[in-house]
Amino acid sequence: MPTRMYRSFQGLLLTGLFVFFASKAVNGQLTWYINSRFVPLTLFGILFLAVLAQTIFTEVKRLRAHDEEHVHEHEHATPANLWFMIIPLLIGVLIPARPLNSSAFDTKGLNTSAPLVSADTSSLIFETESEKRNILDWLKLFNYEDDVTQFVGQKASVIGFVYFDEALGADQFYVSRFVVSCCAADGFAIAIPAQWPDAASLKKDSWVIVKGSISSVEIDGNRMPLITATSVESVDVPDQPYLFP
Amino acid sequence: MQTMATDRLPRRFIIPVLLFVLILVAASMFPDGFFTWFWDRLNVFATIFLGIFVEAIPYLLLGTFASGLVEEFVDRDQMSRWISRRPAAAAISGAFMGMIFPVCECGVVPLTRRLFHKGLPLSAGISFLLAAPVLNPIVIISTAAAFGWDRMLLWRVGLSLLIAIITGMIFSVEPNAGKILKPIISLPTEHDHSHGSIHKTFMEKVRGALLVTVDEFFDMGRYLIMGSVLAAGLQTFVSQSVLLTLGSGPVFSVLIMLLLAVLLSICSTVDAFVALGFVGTFSFGSVLSFLVFGPMVDIKSVLMYLQVFNKKSVFYIVTIPFMISLLSGLLLNYLLP
Repeated sequence: MPTRMYRSFQGLLLTGLFVFFASKAVNGQLTWYINSRFVPLTLFGILFLAVLAQTIFTEVKRLRAHDEEHVHEHEHATPANLWFMIIPLLIGVLIPARPLNSSAFDTKGLNTSAPLVSADTSSLIFETESEKRNILDWLKLFNYEDDVTQFVGQKASVIGFVYFDEALGADQFYVSRFVVSCCAADGFAIAIPAQWPDAASLKKDSWVIVKGSISSVEIDGNRMPLITATSVESVDVPDQPYLFP
Repeated sequence: MQTMATDRLPRRFIIPVLLFVLILVAASMFPDGFFTWFWDRLNVFATIFLGIFVEAIPYLLLGTFASGLVEEFVDRDQMSRWISRRPAAAAISGAFMGMIFPVCECGVVPLTRRLFHKGLPLSAGISFLLAAPVLNPIVIISTAAAFGWDRMLLWRVGLSLLIAIITGMIFSVEPNAGKILKPIISLPTEHDHSHGSIHKTFMEKVRGALLVTVDEFFDMGRYLIMGSVLAAGLQTFVSQSVLLTLGSGPVFSVLIMLLLAVLLSICSTVDAFVALGFVGTFSFGSVLSFLVFGPMVDIKSVLMYLQVFNKKSVFYIVTIPFMISLLSGLLLNYLLP
């Protein structure tokens, strides 16, 4: 492939990547893929892609002037390198973006028990208002505190997506979230059970905000918080679908 | 060159097209539920793939940019003045060089290749390749952020250094680096036209560095993409919970953590946060082996190594760290249960 053509393709692909990532950044979907902690660094990377694209286009212009003297073949121009860069663009554009949901449970597992995150921050969570605690907070409290009767009757308000499991009764469902440390690849699901007479009317994977009071139950030998719901409302996918430990 | 490429293109397309037709035929025979299942899977795959890719991009750019800067601003004489030719000294200085280059395992490969090109001795380059992803300041800070300035950090850095230096010294038995290294095919030819890099202005050098960055980015990005596709595919279709339940007992837990380090293919700058999630389920030794082996070997880095070294060398670069990580993990599991 002639150098100029190769360079032009490089420039186009860099621009493509820049536009794709920049659009993700603008519509706030970067956190569907990575922990919000890494967003600033990624933005920096996206800007750098633009700088590189600009450099390449300037180079193409320079080559155009140069080529009038003699056309030369670019030895390093292996077109295969170019084709590969199309893959992320194709995957990103053709497959509709969606945060991880219960479809990933088969392989990633639903972690309803176990020491979720090693850092014991339960004393901090203790002081936050009960209605501001998220699913992870509640699970941590029930994991680390010996006496959970103190939480029984507290008001809870949590957001998550709906998941049904055989371990639960017909009027129960799980409110689940994925916990992501760095990117979607390391995400694992957590969930707490909720009781709601109309549970069967809910749609799997739909996002809901569940309000009610906490009690303690045992599921498969694990002590878990259960929300006896007074209201279950549908909501949009939150800006940050994952929880970050 | 050009005729070869155009001759080969149609033939290369035959297999994908046939495969596509085969898939269509096969698809018409699948039960109804298959497609929703498959579509769901594909969504999960896309999210995980883009997760790995998006997260790795800034680090890959950083590494390739470092490589570009080395190409333009470091010349061969400087390199030989900095680095000793004696094997042990070269291996040790190579390993500690990691402290000044903030690159992770995606970025370190193009940079090492460029340093070899500038005359870095083989043993120094190998130990740099293995140590830099752990010894770099970003990784040390992120490990400390996850585990505190504590024994996990000390062990991680110490063990990585040890493995890097041992592997580097083993490679010093081969005096002819040319036998082990593959040539860099992606050298911008423009450089040959100008008369050395000495007469270039600063801005010309920066421009040259950015062009090298782009070439390296495309060259290495290819393997990052292949690796991410594989890792995401495995994660979409192979159950991790099965892996984790298998991982009990002092021997199996280390093996499972090593396997997981390879499969997850997460960047060394962030893997400490992931490892944090395993503390409690897994012993100190097992988590440590994850943190030491992961930055040296995973799916994408092995694919990149294959572009720089011959197969036999890649075999050693993978197995020596594997053996030492495994042994140290086992030993620590017995000493510090």
